[in-house]
Amino acid sequence: MNSSSILDSQRIQEAYAHVQQRVKQTPRVALILGTGLGQFADRIENPVAISYADIPHFPHSSAPDHKGQLVSGSIKGVPLIAMQGRFHLYEGHPINDVILPVHVMRQLGADILIVSNASGGVNTKLSGGDILVINSHINLTFRVNPQLAALTQTRNDTKSPIYDPQLIEDAMETGRRAGFYLQQGCYVALTGPNYETRSEYRMVRKIGGDVVGMSTVPEVLVAHALGMRVLALSAVTNVAKPDALVETTAEGVIDIAQLAEPKLNAIVMTIVDNINRK
Amino acid sequence: MLDLFEKIAEAAKAIRGQWNKTPHAGIILGTGLGSLVAEIDVEATLDYADIPHFPQSTAVSHAGRLICGTLDGLPVMAMEGRMHMYEGYPLKLITLPVRVMQAMGAELLVVSNACGGMNPTYRCGDIMIIEDQINLMGDNPLIGVNDDRLGPRFPDMCEPYELALVDRALCVARAADIVAHRGVFVAVAGPNLETRAEYRFLRTIGADVVGMSTVPEVLVAVHCGLRCVGFSVITDMCLADALKPANVEEIIAVANEAEPRLTTLVKGVLALEQA
Repeated sequence: MNSSSILDSQRIQEAYAHVQQRVKQTPRVALILGTGLGQFADRIENPVAISYADIPHFPHSSAPDHKGQLVSGSIKGVPLIAMQGRFHLYEGHPINDVILPVHVMRQLGADILIVSNASGGVNTKLSGGDILVINSHINLTFRVNPQLAALTQTRNDTKSPIYDPQLIEDAMETGRRAGFYLQQGCYVALTGPNYETRSEYRMVRKIGGDVVGMSTVPEVLVAHALGMRVLALSAVTNVAKPDALVETTAEGVIDIAQLAEPKLNAIVMTIVDNINRK
Repeated sequence: MLDLFEKIAEAAKAIRGQWNKTPHAGIILGTGLGSLVAEIDVEATLDYADIPHFPQSTAVSHAGRLICGTLDGLPVMAMEGRMHMYEGYPLKLITLPVRVMQAMGAELLVVSNACGGMNPTYRCGDIMIIEDQINLMGDNPLIGVNDDRLGPRFPDMCEPYELALVDRALCVARAADIVAHRGVFVAVAGPNLETRAEYRFLRTIGADVVGMSTVPEVLVAVHCGLRCVGFSVITDMCLADALKPANVEEIIAVANEAEPRLTTLVKGVLALEQA
């Protein structure tokens, strides 16, 4: 172990120790609420909110529409913990800060991670307000998590798919039963912060991406390496048409991402019900 | 990033101490535009070393001077000496002069570069008007806490190069009987030239030419609200299936040979700015 990873494990312990004192029940599920989806936290029963500013080593969230607190509580009796607002590489946070909360939530006991984000679609079968169930990703952030190899080496099962097939199936089933369109696909991660050029949208489409965004991949990689089952849901805010110039604004992205919140809720309910059935 | 605002103001103040006009255009004199300096009626010349917070070039070949004056009567600021990511400079530092140009009142950014041509219909020595760009540098000058005084958190990039200016440049080229293409520029960090497999990859994702500059400056220019026009000189052809070793002397010779044509295009585009 090199000195930086020792430092990181110390930071994780100190952040964990603070959060652990405030959390009443061991969470089963961890949630990361992305752009436009923060209000899902209002559905959490008996909520305890812990501001990021109070947690040792947590950075400050500077992204628009990101509140910056952990909310612990339960839904239908299943204890969970949610990040209302996340940290992005484009804010200038080092990758170790971006993934710090995942370590903390894992250490609290969560073994399922549900990640959400807002993305731009490049697959023309998608529409604004849809949810894409992520089943693969392409990492174009050019950022490496130095701990990842070490974490993976400590696990026997390193070949399991990053995105849990059973959770994907649960999500797809929710869409069928509740009557909304869902499709699976590939998330391409760039750092941003600029929205993509038309040529970049074309590139994303050509290399096999269905949507493009600026988050999720760092958190998902570390959660998988820590042995969590991961479900990642992407709220498609607009479908880029590189052949027709349309401007993208942050406000429009947030508004349309909010349309996807009831769908996110339905999927989380399915997973919570499944936990209760076991 | 929040201290950037003050740095820009200090740099602009130092320049205003030497030159009190409002520039219409900022020009980055990349490869192929060196001789444009001779066309400028120079009113002030500042070494980067004398401008607070400007990047200090360690390379001997890049003197690093800011030239202020008029080009056919149009007030311009021109950067002679450009820093590259592959030299190890942070992108925020490389792009600071663009923000200073905007703070001085410029509304247009003119950039040029040397590039490798991957579109097989191009020929060595041709000029391409940049229509769009792909950032594969692995970095972005806008990363960090956003200062809303400088620009939006998520700048839109649906038209980084003003398409009306692309059309205008093509008109100027036709009128002067200069071969000019419109195409997509992809930026990589370098400093190595690409492998054949990388050229195939870059061509497949939709790029016509590849280079190691320009994209950071244009990202910042769009962020702070400048219109942009960009020119690429194709100094060598990079066709994956017929690749030859790059020859630096030949590349320089091609760039020099293109200079008068590029100068004609830039002057033609700027002439219509005045009208």
